[in-house]
Amino acid sequence: MTRLIPTEDELHAYVDERLDPARRAEVQAWLAANPQAAARVEGWRADARRLRTALAGLGEPASAPALELGQLRRQLRQRRQRRWAAAAAVVLALGVGGLGGWQARDATLANAELPMADAVQAHKLFAASQALDIQASDPGQLRDWLGRHFNRVGQLPDLAGYGFKPVGARLLSNEQGPAALLVFEDGKGQRISLFMRSPSEGFRRMPNGQRVDGQLEARYWSHGAYNFALVSAADDVRGAGVGEVLRLGL
Amino acid sequence: MHDLDNQQWRELLARLRRFALWLTREPGSADDLVQATVERALSRRDQQRDAQALRAWLFTILYRLYLDGKRRERLHARWLSWFGRAERDDEAVGDNLEAIILAQADLQAFSRLSAEQRALLLLVSVEGLSYKEAAQALGIPIGTVMSRLSRARNALRELTEGSPQPPALRRLK
Repeated sequence: MTRLIPTEDELHAYVDERLDPARRAEVQAWLAANPQAAARVEGWRADARRLRTALAGLGEPASAPALELGQLRRQLRQRRQRRWAAAAAVVLALGVGGLGGWQARDATLANAELPMADAVQAHKLFAASQALDIQASDPGQLRDWLGRHFNRVGQLPDLAGYGFKPVGARLLSNEQGPAALLVFEDGKGQRISLFMRSPSEGFRRMPNGQRVDGQLEARYWSHGAYNFALVSAADDVRGAGVGEVLRLGL
Repeated sequence: MHDLDNQQWRELLARLRRFALWLTREPGSADDLVQATVERALSRRDQQRDAQALRAWLFTILYRLYLDGKRRERLHARWLSWFGRAERDDEAVGDNLEAIILAQADLQAFSRLSAEQRALLLLVSVEGLSYKEAAQALGIPIGTVMSRLSRARNALRELTEGSPQPPALRRLK
């Protein structure tokens, strides 16, 4: 059964959620039986979480001058144009090619879309609002609603163990198709939400991952016919556990 | 450029800046580094990339520029020492950043790691790059990514758990 003993690399991949689900389950079982290794792994995980939390608000130092894309482009273009002016004969030909290049760059930067950015957007817009399509205080109600709209989703797990109760849900729609936002709340009013939608053009199936977006943290994964994202406050330590439960249950 | 593009651009810029800041630990050089990165990226006519690949590509450029800068600094220091003016080579932390680090206990241990270790933890744990993308960005084989990750995490653990030493930071005067 040597296959069962995870290597050091696999333990890191476990922390970073880069293992395939089968191996992940094996490693998890092994850790459950090896508390010393489990404590070590938990330490790494806690450090990573603290780092993400501490850095969440630090992207934009107040002193930094604004770096405007348009202005940078103009500067670069002017530099080029000065160079080209010296060789008047080729200016026209190069100018046309150069412009094409700038336009291509435009398109590239416009596509700088992060995985499940719409989930974070939806959370910001609706998680705190009262404008939900249904108000559901018991998990069964939410499960029924979910089954009606997304018939290929599995069982919605009960998150009471983490102190979260369902608040309600909202149907959304964007260019990627229909989506739903399920909102949960704990006793203190802290909210998390689960976002799901059919895979979009850009991300047919997503690798599992997580990222910090301002004060929020998104964990995302694909399963069955849908992409999922769990959005929680970046400093909410329950995010990892809830994400795990949802990933296994849905 | 309309609003949405600007929003995405700012977000990307913030990520680059954060990465540069924790590499150089000095806001001034971090801004220069980000500016140089963006200029380099804009001047390259390159194939279409999706969002994730674009991000990884920009991190790659930034890290290369950072290493080039380091190399030039070392060369410069050697020149100075030949002329009898030795320069201390320890890493200093800029004023602004020092305040941030002191306010955030969790960042003290992190800021004591080596630049290579900080870069890797930022890419993997904060920016969510895959091991392969991180290997490309840092220009090292994937095996090195794994061993460096292991060393970095254990070092961070030790620094976090170990005795709460006063932060080994020096003011940049």
